[in-house]
Amino acid sequence: MRAVIGDYTIRVERRADLRWWHTTLASVLAIVVSLFLVGFAFLRVGADPLEVYSEIVKYAFLSEFGLPQTINRATFVLLAAFALIVPLRAGLWNIGMPGQIYAATLAAFGVAYAFGAKRSVNVQLPGELIIPLMFLAALAAGAVYGAIAGFLRGRFQVNEIVTTMMLNWAMLWIVAHMIREGGPFMGRTAEGEGFTLPTSLRLPQILGVPLTVYIALALAVLLTWFLAKTTLGYRIRTYGESPRAAEYAGIDATRISTLVFALGGLLAGLAGYHYFAAVPGVFKIPKNYADFGDFSFYGLITGLIARNNPIAAIPVAVLFGGVSGGARFMQGKLRLAFGIDYALLGVLMIMMVAFQALAHYSVRVERQAAVPRPQLELERGESRVESPRH
Amino acid sequence: MSSLLVISLAAAAVFAIAALGELLEQRAGILNVGLEGVMLLSGTFGFIAAKTSGSYLQGFTVALLTGALVGLLHGFFSITLGSNQVVNGMAIWILGFGLTTYIGYPYTGPLGLKPFPTVAGLPTFFLVALALAIAIWFLLFKTHLGLKLRSVGENPSVAEASGISVTGLRYLAAILAGMLVGLGGAVYSLVYNPVWNYNYLQGWGFIALALVFFSLWNPFLVVAGAVFFGILWQLSLYPELLFPNVFSRYIWRAMPFVITIVVFIVLSTRWFRLRWGATKPEALGLAYQREN
Repeated sequence: MRAVIGDYTIRVERRADLRWWHTTLASVLAIVVSLFLVGFAFLRVGADPLEVYSEIVKYAFLSEFGLPQTINRATFVLLAAFALIVPLRAGLWNIGMPGQIYAATLAAFGVAYAFGAKRSVNVQLPGELIIPLMFLAALAAGAVYGAIAGFLRGRFQVNEIVTTMMLNWAMLWIVAHMIREGGPFMGRTAEGEGFTLPTSLRLPQILGVPLTVYIALALAVLLTWFLAKTTLGYRIRTYGESPRAAEYAGIDATRISTLVFALGGLLAGLAGYHYFAAVPGVFKIPKNYADFGDFSFYGLITGLIARNNPIAAIPVAVLFGGVSGGARFMQGKLRLAFGIDYALLGVLMIMMVAFQALAHYSVRVERQAAVPRPQLELERGESRVESPRH
Repeated sequence: MSSLLVISLAAAAVFAIAALGELLEQRAGILNVGLEGVMLLSGTFGFIAAKTSGSYLQGFTVALLTGALVGLLHGFFSITLGSNQVVNGMAIWILGFGLTTYIGYPYTGPLGLKPFPTVAGLPTFFLVALALAIAIWFLLFKTHLGLKLRSVGENPSVAEASGISVTGLRYLAAILAGMLVGLGGAVYSLVYNPVWNYNYLQGWGFIALALVFFSLWNPFLVVAGAVFFGILWQLSLYPELLFPNVFSRYIWRAMPFVITIVVFIVLSTRWFRLRWGATKPEALGLAYQREN
C-alpha cells in the first residue's frame, strides 16, 4: 500500500520475515497502550492515572503484603498459560482452564475431606501422606477433565473451543453444588464457601512462598525442553503445523489431541492446587470462586503474548499477576465499580492481537526527489519495449 | 406445556439469529469464534441504552450499531491485516467479556420495561429468525450477490480473477454478520432474560457457533438446531421441578452444558463428518492476499 502526501511517500508493506524484536516490541507496545487506555477509567473518577499506576507498582511489587500476593497470582497465571501453550503447540485451543482448575481443586479437597479434614482446622492428620495424595489427585483430575475435550476433538472432530467452554460452565455449577447450601464441602462457619484446610495439610513454604511456585518455574524449563527436544514434543509440533502431514507420518490424531489436552488440564490443575491449597491466607474454595476462573483467562493472554514460549511467559505472568491484583486494590481505594481488572483483560487481548498483526507490516516514509529525473535517452537499436515488471 | 414451548422458542430465537449471522460470514470465508463477545457487547450496550432511555427501539439500535462496529473490527483484523482468525475471534470474545463486565456492572439488575410484545402468542423474535433464515437462504442461493459471497468463501483468487472484490464482499459479510450476532445478543438481554448480570450469556455464543458447524451451513438447519437447543435448554431446567430431591438445583444447572456436549458427540457420526468436510466453505478461516 502506498500513500503520497506532498513530497512524501508512505509505504506500508508486509514484512517477508518477522524478527524476534518485532514481536517483542509489539507485545511491549500492546501492554503499554492497554495500560494507557485503562488509565481513562481512573481519570473518569478524578484520579491521576500516573499516580494510580505508581501506587499499583508500589503495592504489587514493593510492599510487604502485595509482593507475595503478586508472586502467587503470577504463578496461577503462569500455570494457566502453560495449559494454553501445550495444546496450542498442537494447533488446539484450550480455553477450559476454569473447569480444569476446579476439577483439580475439588479432587484435592475431596482427598482431604475423605481423611476427615473438615472436622476442624486444628485436626492432626499425617500431612506427609495426605499432601502428596492431594497433589496427585489434583493433577489427575485436571488431566482427566482436560482430556475429555481433547479426546472428543481427536476422535469425533467436536470443536474443542465449544467443548471446553461447556465443561467450564458445568464445573462452575458443580463447585456451587459442593460448597453452597449444605453441600459436602461447605465450610462449617461460612455460607457459600468451602471448608478451610487444616494446618497439618498445608503445603510447606520455602523462603516465604509455597513450593508450587518453584515447581511452576521448573516446569517452564521442563516444558521448553519437552516441546523442543523430545520425540513426543516434535510430534506435537508436527501435528500443530499440519495435522494431515502428521497423520501421513503415522502420528495418531486422537492420541496427540488427548495427550496435549491431558497435559494442559494437568497444568491447569496444578494452578488450582497452588492457589486454593498452597497459598497462605486462602486454603479453601473462596466465595468468589468464579472470579478466579475468569482470572485464569489472563493465562490465555500470557500464552499468546509470550508467543507460546513457556520461559517468555514468566515475566508476562509476573506483570499481569501484579497489575491485576494492584488494580483490584486501587479499585477498592478509589471506590471504582467492580471489574477494572476485567476491563484491562479485554483491552489487553484486543491490543495484543492488533499489535502482533501490525508487527507484520513495515512503514517507510520516503521523501521524493523534487527534481524530475532526466529522461533516459534511448540509443539507436535499443528496445522500446518496457519490461512488464517496470 | 404451551408456555414451555413459547419460552423455548424465545431461547431458540437467540441461538438462531446469532448463528444465522455467523453462517453468513462463514459462507464468505470469515470465521469468527468470538460470537460470545459480540453478543455480550451488543447485548450489554443495548441493555444500557434501553434501560436509560426506556425504549426498546433505542436499545436495539445501539445493539445493531455495536454489532456492526465489532464486525468491522473483526473484519479489519481478519481481512486487511490478515492475522489468524481464531486468535482474532478469541480477542473479540475476551474483549467483550472483560469490557462489558466493567462497563455493565453499575447496571446490574432487571431492565424494568414492559415485556416485549409477542405476535399471536409466539415470541416476536422467533418469527424474525424465521424470516431471516428465509432471507439469508434467498440471498445466498437465489441472488447474484449470494453467488458472489459464496464464491469468495470457496475460492477467493478465482473470484477475484472473475472481477469480484474479495475484500469488499468480505467486509460486507463481516459487518452484516456482526449486526445479526449483535441482535442475537440483544434479544437475550432485552427479551429472553432481561436481567443484566456479568457474563450473563453463559456460553450461548459458543453454542451458536457450534450450531453453524452442525448445520452444514444451511440456514434452515440452523433454525431447526436452534429450536432443538431452545427446547433442550428449557427441558433441562424442568427435572428440578419434577424430581426436586434427586440432585441439588446446582447440579441441574450444570446439566444443559453436559447434555450439549453429548448431543455434539451423537451428531458427529462418520457420515456427518464426511458431509461436513464436503460442504465446508473451502477458504473458511483463511486470509486472502491479493497478488499484485
